Amino acid sequence: MLARSLLRVPNRAIARQSLGKSTRASSTAAGAESASSPFHLTLTASLATAAAAGSAAWYYHLYGQEAFASTPAEEGLHPTQYPWVHQRFNKTFDHAALRRGFQVYREVCASCHSLTRVPWRSFVGVMHTVDEMKTMAEENEYDTEPNDQGDIEQRPGKLSDYIPAPYKNDEAARAANAGALPPDLSLIVKGRHGGCDYIFNLLTGYPDEAPAGAAVAEGMNFNPYFPGTGIAMGRVLFDGVVEYEDGTPATTSQMAKDVVEFLNWAAEPEMDDRKKMGVKAIAVLSGLFAISVWVKRYKWAPIKSRKIVYSPPIGPRR
Amino acid sequence: MGFTDFFTDVVSSLGFAEAQAEAPAADVETSSTPQDEPAEKTEEATEESESAEETPSEESSEEAPEEEEAPAEEEEEEEEEEEEEEEDEPEDIKPKLEEDCANSAKCAPYKHHYDECVERVTRQEEEGDDFKGVKEDCVEEFFHLTHCATACAAPKLWRELK
Repeated sequence: MLARSLLRVPNRAIARQSLGKSTRASSTAAGAESASSPFHLTLTASLATAAAAGSAAWYYHLYGQEAFASTPAEEGLHPTQYPWVHQRFNKTFDHAALRRGFQVYREVCASCHSLTRVPWRSFVGVMHTVDEMKTMAEENEYDTEPNDQGDIEQRPGKLSDYIPAPYKNDEAARAANAGALPPDLSLIVKGRHGGCDYIFNLLTGYPDEAPAGAAVAEGMNFNPYFPGTGIAMGRVLFDGVVEYEDGTPATTSQMAKDVVEFLNWAAEPEMDDRKKMGVKAIAVLSGLFAISVWVKRYKWAPIKSRKIVYSPPIGPRR
Repeated sequence: MGFTDFFTDVVSSLGFAEAQAEAPAADVETSSTPQDEPAEKTEEATEESESAEETPSEESSEEAPEEEEAPAEEEEEEEEEEEEEEEDEPEDIKPKLEEDCANSAKCAPYKHHYDECVERVTRQEEEGDDFKGVKEDCVEEFFHLTHCATACAAPKLWRELK
């Protein structure tokens, strides 16, 4: 070792001499003259930096601030967030609430709003029994296939039928509601900003009277959560409109909560299964991960525990 | 819930499971007409037991904040009357919670602005055509107040609802 280090010193000294005075080791303190590089060297970099900063500022000036032309009234009041239990990742729908919500839909909403994408069969095993749903389906009449004479007859509903709409078509719905079309509620929770919160707020948010100076068109109702604040639907949920079969006090907010949870189920009936699948995936993947860790330890054990020994050839002593 | 249940769940998710939507077999033995009722009952039995457990606790929790917030005797008497009425028609707690929230210190600035705006606009409406100036409404102030009040009442409301 000593001999090697002695050899190295003259080599380094020679190298330094050959490169000239400007080179220095990085560990040495910077001299005053070498710290400031000449202006012509930093000019390009300085200009490039200034141009980059300037163009970014220009871009922000041109496009940075979003143009927002709506007044708050036109935008509508953003829905208040409620702590929905069924929206937590480890919770399912409250199926008793779903059952109550379907009752609210049938007795209140169904007179104007359709639920055309939900068949009777989808309730079976979720909130009703087969027999209950069969009787409910049979209360409605559906068109049959053309018979031998080509006539279309009426038949009682079956489980495979979809929930009938209150109006024949959109035009009939508009005509019956002074030009306003009640939207289909099958996917309404997915189809509105704010989802459950928006619908709950909309249903319960009708103030006793519109704020002073607010313009409410004829035939319209003031609702702060509806964009434009003028909504054709009046307040429909009042305390005690529905009598729950399970004895829950049917307050306005209770009914709204139940029906919103029901509409969320209608929009994503797969939610419970999806969450169950997620837990299964976590269980399986964590198991596989644990196995892979053990396998890695097993495979690496000889590599980790080996020892590399260099035994130099024993030569003649100098 | 044993560890083996996990595997039965995995198996049942594979698609050859049986739909358990039929009413229990015991009910089929009875005559066909009252079949619906016991079927409902068995399905609801669990729900009803849950609701039976929840309803008394809910009522007590509904009463508790009211009693706390009503130190005056007169108000208590009024509320007792309301509770008597509740047997026929349930009273929604949401407007009351939100009013309390709107009057709380948290929403005081919004409440102040809204009240001031209402006063200003009503004066402006009274003046009618004589009023010269920018016509305004209180929608924005109302939004701020409502947002504050509902956000404050949201967790309290959810505690009361099923």
